[in-house]
Amino acid sequence: MREILFVAFSLFTIGAASGVFLARNPVYSAFSLILSFFGLSGLYLLWGSTFMAMIQILIYTGAIVVLFVFVVMLLNLQVNRENPSNLLTLGISAGAVWFFSLILLRVLTRAIPNKIPEIPTDQLRTISKLLFTRYLWPFEVLSLFLLVMIIAIFAITRTQEIPHGGEQR
Amino acid sequence: MNFPTSLTYWSHFVAVAMFALGLLGFLLRKNTIVVLMCIELMLNAVNLLLIETSMRTNTPDGIILVVFVVTVAAAEVAVGLGIVLNLYRLKGSVNLDHFKSLQG
Amino acid sequence: MEWTDIIITAIKTAVIYLGMVQVVPIMLIVERRGAALMQDRPGPNRVGPFGLFQPVADVIKMMMKEVTIPRQVNKALYLLGPFLVLFPASLVVAALPFGDFFTVFEKNYPLQVANIDVGVLYILAIGSLGIYGILFGGWASNNKFSLMGAMRSSSQIISYEIPLGLAACSAVLWYGHFNLREMVYTQEGTLMGVLPNWGIFYQPLGFLLFFISAFAETNRLPFDLPETEAELVAGFHTEYGPMDFGTFFMAEYMNMATMSGLMVAMYFGGWHLPWISDATLLQWLGSRNLLAALQVLSVVVKISFFMLVFVWVRWTLPRFRFDQLMRLAWRNLIPLGLINLVITAVIMYFRGAA
Repeated sequence: MREILFVAFSLFTIGAASGVFLARNPVYSAFSLILSFFGLSGLYLLWGSTFMAMIQILIYTGAIVVLFVFVVMLLNLQVNRENPSNLLTLGISAGAVWFFSLILLRVLTRAIPNKIPEIPTDQLRTISKLLFTRYLWPFEVLSLFLLVMIIAIFAITRTQEIPHGGEQR
Repeated sequence: MNFPTSLTYWSHFVAVAMFALGLLGFLLRKNTIVVLMCIELMLNAVNLLLIETSMRTNTPDGIILVVFVVTVAAAEVAVGLGIVLNLYRLKGSVNLDHFKSLQG
Repeated sequence: MEWTDIIITAIKTAVIYLGMVQVVPIMLIVERRGAALMQDRPGPNRVGPFGLFQPVADVIKMMMKEVTIPRQVNKALYLLGPFLVLFPASLVVAALPFGDFFTVFEKNYPLQVANIDVGVLYILAIGSLGIYGILFGGWASNNKFSLMGAMRSSSQIISYEIPLGLAACSAVLWYGHFNLREMVYTQEGTLMGVLPNWGIFYQPLGFLLFFISAFAETNRLPFDLPETEAELVAGFHTEYGPMDFGTFFMAEYMNMATMSGLMVAMYFGGWHLPWISDATLLQWLGSRNLLAALQVLSVVVKISFFMLVFVWVRWTLPRFRFDQLMRLAWRNLIPLGLINLVITAVIMYFRGAA
């Protein structure tokens, strides 16, 4: 049962991920992205990480992809018949990436020990404890980083000032 | 809990395939927004590997790294899309071929 | 797991889910009669005694109407839209606790579909997915009003998710659990002998934030900007036919019920009756199943109360303008949520939490 679910979620994720870059219309790309994130969250669940599965849905699907969809719809782009270079280039690059990924796979599988210990039961508590002890400094730096990012976004997307002191959002 | 032993490295395959797809899209697509989406795909492929390894070796550090990655990814998307919006305002298009003014 | 377990769990799931779906027809009549009551007019009173069969008539009308699909729509996403809204709305019901246990054949079964360890996160995560139905449905309709409604909906829901999450964060910090069941367990008994030991007395500000954000998350009236009939015809469902509109409608009411259930579990003691502990009640009643029934009744009464508040607010407050809505979220609610979080953390620190 577990194996079947595993394979099903994996295939689903890969299929949706290929949809992201095959779809002509960016809205369909975004939709595929949502589906592939769902598949990923299912995989996390199968690995026993409920927390990360929920975070995946909450942040990636619930916020990040919404931003993508929002921008795509805001610009309301025409579906331009973007022909991705030519077919030969596409085929060659696809093969190259595939080969590269297979080599990478080989390297990765050798690096990790093949032992399967128990999953900690109270994973959430462990994570939060580590986050505020061993990883306190990265965590604080991250908060600063977020603040900088907020300011940066405001600076980037600010529109022209309205000259006569009218209220501006 | 038992992991499916016959599929021990299955999620490596998934992660690498996802990364490859993301890279491919990143290199080939012309729509800036789709390119950003493909970056997300690559990040998520790495996340999958991190979580899988973390759960397999029973070290929560990988999961914490994923938390960081997710946060940075959210910020990155917000900034990236802000830049895309500005470019659209400037050029009236999000096609990467139209942004060639920096090309010497 | 024996086969009796599977059967009983299946029956339990079906009963809870179908019970939640019943919210829709009940609210249909309650909302219309409630509106009439507040506006001093009779309201629908022709079908059946006191107009009680009005929902049946409404649903039959919706079913019988001709289904049209406008020519300019993007068909796949247009048809998918209503279901993308209804699907998450149905899924989140699974995490709501309705009672402690009921006993069949000497075995205890929790009155909850799934006791998810990160229940609050689950509800927030899955609940936030409903926005995609609105977004894609509005976009696929290929109509500027629909698109405007969809855009408004997305920015509104994203903005109000932050105060909602902050309020939930404070509550989680206070209870020390993401699990809704454990939250309810800690709310038993009394506080200083007078008040029931409910979360609202520990987290009043958090509850207020959660309450306001819940209205925005469910697109209910002071914040129903995505479908303002005065500006956008009908917002994101302008182009939709009868039963598709019905699906959106159903999802809205189910979302309201879920939000109410979440508020009940987090701030209003879940299945506990005020002042009386479960052990005392068990002694009085003498039967576990009777106690379970009482607990379910208690949750249902509390949820109904919140649903009535939803209706009450809808016909009392005027609609916000969009910039006011955004300002409320970003300038008022989010700072308040952060302050609430800090206060909670400081109190927890000095109280010496485990």
